[in-house]
Amino acid sequence: MLSRAASSLFWMARYLERAESQARLLDVSLTMALIDVPEDRTEQLSVPLLVSGTREIFLDSYTGITPQNLIDFLLLDERHPASVFNIIRNARDNALHVRGNLSSDVWESINQAWLEMQELQRKGVTVSNASSVFDWIRERSHMFRGAAYGTLLRDDAFHFLRLGTFIERAETTARVLDIRHVMAMKAMEDHATQAFFEWTAVLHSLAAFEAYQNTYGHNLDAMSVAELLILAPDVPRSLHGCLREIASLLEQVESGDARGSRRLASSLYANIRHGDRDYIAERGLHNYLVDFLDRIQLIGGQIQKDYMGWQG
Amino acid sequence: MLIQTPAEGLYDELFDKDNRVRPQCRMLENWLLNSNEELIAEKRREADVLFQRLGITFNVYGEDKGADRLIPFDLIPRVISASDWHTLQTGLRQRVQALNRFLHDIYHDYDIVKAGVISAEQVFANPQYQPGMQNLKLPRNLYCHIAGIDLIRHSDGDFYVLEDNLRCPSGVSYMLENRRMMMRLFPELFTHSAVAPVEHYPNLLGETLRAASLKPDPTVVVLTPGRFNSAYFEHAFLARQMGVELVEGADLFVAQNRVYMKTTVGPQQVDVIYRRLDDDFLDPLAGNPDSMLGVAGLYAAYRTGNVVLTNAMGTGVADDKSIYPYVPDMIRFYLDEEPILKNVPTWQCRKPTDLQYVLDHLPELVVKEAQGAGGYGMLIGPKASKQELATFRSLLKARPQDYIAQPTLSLSTCPTFVDEGVAPRHLDLRPFVLSGKKIQMVPGGLTRVALEEGSLVVNSSQGGGTKDTWVLEDDRC
Repeated sequence: MLSRAASSLFWMARYLERAESQARLLDVSLTMALIDVPEDRTEQLSVPLLVSGTREIFLDSYTGITPQNLIDFLLLDERHPASVFNIIRNARDNALHVRGNLSSDVWESINQAWLEMQELQRKGVTVSNASSVFDWIRERSHMFRGAAYGTLLRDDAFHFLRLGTFIERAETTARVLDIRHVMAMKAMEDHATQAFFEWTAVLHSLAAFEAYQNTYGHNLDAMSVAELLILAPDVPRSLHGCLREIASLLEQVESGDARGSRRLASSLYANIRHGDRDYIAERGLHNYLVDFLDRIQLIGGQIQKDYMGWQG
Repeated sequence: MLIQTPAEGLYDELFDKDNRVRPQCRMLENWLLNSNEELIAEKRREADVLFQRLGITFNVYGEDKGADRLIPFDLIPRVISASDWHTLQTGLRQRVQALNRFLHDIYHDYDIVKAGVISAEQVFANPQYQPGMQNLKLPRNLYCHIAGIDLIRHSDGDFYVLEDNLRCPSGVSYMLENRRMMMRLFPELFTHSAVAPVEHYPNLLGETLRAASLKPDPTVVVLTPGRFNSAYFEHAFLARQMGVELVEGADLFVAQNRVYMKTTVGPQQVDVIYRRLDDDFLDPLAGNPDSMLGVAGLYAAYRTGNVVLTNAMGTGVADDKSIYPYVPDMIRFYLDEEPILKNVPTWQCRKPTDLQYVLDHLPELVVKEAQGAGGYGMLIGPKASKQELATFRSLLKARPQDYIAQPTLSLSTCPTFVDEGVAPRHLDLRPFVLSGKKIQMVPGGLTRVALEEGSLVVNSSQGGGTKDTWVLEDDRC
């Protein structure tokens, strides 16, 4: 397939995944800010800014980290690329670019999301209706996935699209876990109940709360959460789950001489597949995640070099 | 709903001259009379939402990015009887065949010039003539694989060819989507009438494009200027329907006079390019050096015969206003047949007898510059002042070769939903004619309608809309 089309599909899927994870993060942060003692609110609300690396930019144009400012910035702000508004716009632009490779169901699901997003932006979103908007974003994301699974041919277009999803997802899981686990550990020293909520927040942000309950029961402890989100192969947003998909997708993609991304991905996958919680504890969760992020970004870059490298 | 009857002296597609409904339209009239305004208004809204969701929008140049607009879609179809279509189809085949013969001739043997049918100056001095196409052998001698022929129905009830579009005619996706929309909104209408299908157009197009190359299984691509082009939707639509890649100039490159596309597994050779770019933009080395849309070296690859362009380079000379009057003569010259479709009578002021006629009848005629475009330097006789007529009289005498003249035409009308209800509006018709191993077309074409009362301008950039076009399989229903 065309390299440019592969690139657009890859980015289209990344953006859609990003829209969903940003909605989940923001949703959890706003809820946590309600539970928290007042002086901690700012810290809770900062999480989505830290994950998307936009805290400084936010503070340049907004006065104070308040729920409404956060909603305006991360959902609606036209001037800023990290807003869901612009993320969906980018997804739709990429989809438009590869319209010839998409089924009409997939195209329409994305185009419809963009049309409704503009409508939402015109009407505005407040703290009181934010939840329904988060629901909407999740639904649109499910719909896109459903349309893609239900109607796309299992060819390289589909493989590159899924690669985009899992690279983005692996990065998000690693970032969220890295930032939130520090907050949870701190809470554990001060306040046991607070710590419970913090760990719940980690799991909810990554849609893994029910998975944790099923696996470990009600006992929330730091290493088990980390184990679930890193090592469990069957959790959709775990690093292991993402890497298994990435490695297998790269095996399926028709490949010329390009071996780089396969090599990098298999090596990282082996590392996780054969890893255990003692190794992570030994290295320290933060160090482990920073190392993981470096390597997953390298894989993302190498995929683009191997298959989409014609552009510029 | 009430249907406003048409003005006198015009041909109406629904009513005959005594305001009786034409037999082939009775079913349509029943439907209109039995539909209430609320239902229709609801269906119109539904159509708008669907077109938005499908993304069937077009960009107006100069407007904000993202200001995607819908082309107004009118719910009342335009009906063409089976016998009318039979004549049209035969006539279109004949016309396109002659045009292809003409293009081959003027780039090879110049028979028509030698025979004195058309003057050498009118062919070779035409700015659209591409000397680089001389003696280039094209598969099946085909130049114009996809033609869009604009027709109007005059008050005498006959169809006239207004213009041949032989470069990159567009609009076929609207023909297809309009049909899909009608079937979705009013399925019951189709159960009572035998409307000829158009849905197989992409298959025929794919067949035509593959036949443009002599290779057994050629790689075909659609070349688009990109997603900011007003017809981008159509390019993507056709590529998807045919299952071929939609490429931009930057996706292609030329090496050793072969064209390749940049794929995830390396270069892949391209055999046929269905290009939706004008000649001048195809290759910055041969045409406009500032073109960012084309492919450097494409022209050389084309000249070597390693790639086929559809349509060929240099077809523009055959759809030029100054060549148009000769199409009936081409049919007689190449095919030895009488033309089936009428041309709008055209007086060429370069000929002394024509000039005399034009000068004598100036207040009834439309005078156009032979090389002009876009309605500049034009005189509309019936609307002109005495002074304007006098100015043109002296212009015509001074430079007769620069002008042609035609009678003022009346476009037929068809009932259309407008703010005041259902009223007659003017329309035209663009069928799409495909030339490959044989000449094929789907029944009908794109019907464009001028939504302003009395307006004759059907262009979508100026507020024109479209309708579904129904060719009946059988007139006895």
